[in-house]
Amino acid sequence: MRALYHGRAILRGMTAVFVLLLGVLHHSFAMFDTAKQVTLVGTVTVFEWTNPHAYIELDVPDETGAVKHWTIELGSPSILQQGGWKFKDLKYGDKVTAVVNPLKSGQTGALLMRVTLPDGRVLGNGPGASGRQ
Amino acid sequence: MKGLAVVALVMFAASAHAQVPPSPPDFTGVWAPYRGGRGADPKLAAPPASPIVLKPEYAQAFDAKRKAEADAAAKGEPIASGAVACVPYGMPRMMSVALYPIEILPTKNQITIVTEAFSEVRRIYMNVPQQPMGDVPPGYYGRSVGRWEGDTLVVDTIGVKTTVPSYQNMPHSDRMRITERVRLVATDYLHDQITIDDPVVLEKPVTYTLAYRRMPGYEMVEFVCDNNREYIDEKGGTHLRVRDR
Repeated sequence: MRALYHGRAILRGMTAVFVLLLGVLHHSFAMFDTAKQVTLVGTVTVFEWTNPHAYIELDVPDETGAVKHWTIELGSPSILQQGGWKFKDLKYGDKVTAVVNPLKSGQTGALLMRVTLPDGRVLGNGPGASGRQ
Repeated sequence: MKGLAVVALVMFAASAHAQVPPSPPDFTGVWAPYRGGRGADPKLAAPPASPIVLKPEYAQAFDAKRKAEADAAAKGEPIASGAVACVPYGMPRMMSVALYPIEILPTKNQITIVTEAFSEVRRIYMNVPQQPMGDVPPGYYGRSVGRWEGDTLVVDTIGVKTTVPSYQNMPHSDRMRITERVRLVATDYLHDQITIDDPVVLEKPVTYTLAYRRMPGYEMVEFVCDNNREYIDEKGGTHLRVRDR
């Protein structure tokens, strides 16, 4: 499993929809580089269904097997629920693929764009931001 | 003779009907913001807002603040709003936070509004006089009084403290007065037309409208801000606490 770095051109339309959605969320998401998408394939260590944000903690092994840990920020439970999420959709040990906007600071933190769950469902970061659209 | 009796009966019924005051529309329930744009019915979406025209002495500082915010955001360290520290919005911004619904709860002499984002509560006291400007202890929600004008709920709010950002984060003084006219524009669609008047800060009042649609059966989600991993540095920039496992 490895992190795949995509170019800016990929899924530009979807990014535009996502950025539009961010514009109506409750605070600025300018910490994150919304022009950049990173695909993380890894194992969930913690899923917190909390306010003001939910979080996925993810162990992501690279090509050599060395594990990098990522903190992924989601919307709030209310917003996620409107986008089809349930509090028990993720748990410790789940293998997932997450497409994220990384922090501009270079730390291993990110904002979720969409995640593929172990059962194959794809969930976005709230209504209108689903990877299926 | 029979015809005359019928006419009299109809007239009686009409006058009896006219004497019964119309009952106000029922706003009880959960309402989600209804935003314009693609797919939205323009008749139900909110009409455009009037421009914000600040007095020159406030306009300069406001423009400078907006520029500083844009510059900080471009660097990836956005200037924190109160929401980052889990401070509630207060009036009037609490009435429209992203996609979060609000719940309207009319009771005998009061209409209570509970928001989902930050679980904010405002109370509108019906058919009582407003207090004089300056007598209301400054707070996030001020003091709201309401009355019905036909099918429209008219709400007057004063006493919002000056540290609570107003519409579009514009500044306001302790003379700010918020007037809301709330009515159903169609079955299950509600408009709250909000006018902000502030003779100290504004050249002229600002009016904007919030549109909502009813969410039958929706159960409000709790919002207790107990896992705030974002933090504000000494310069006011926002950062995320990243964990290592």
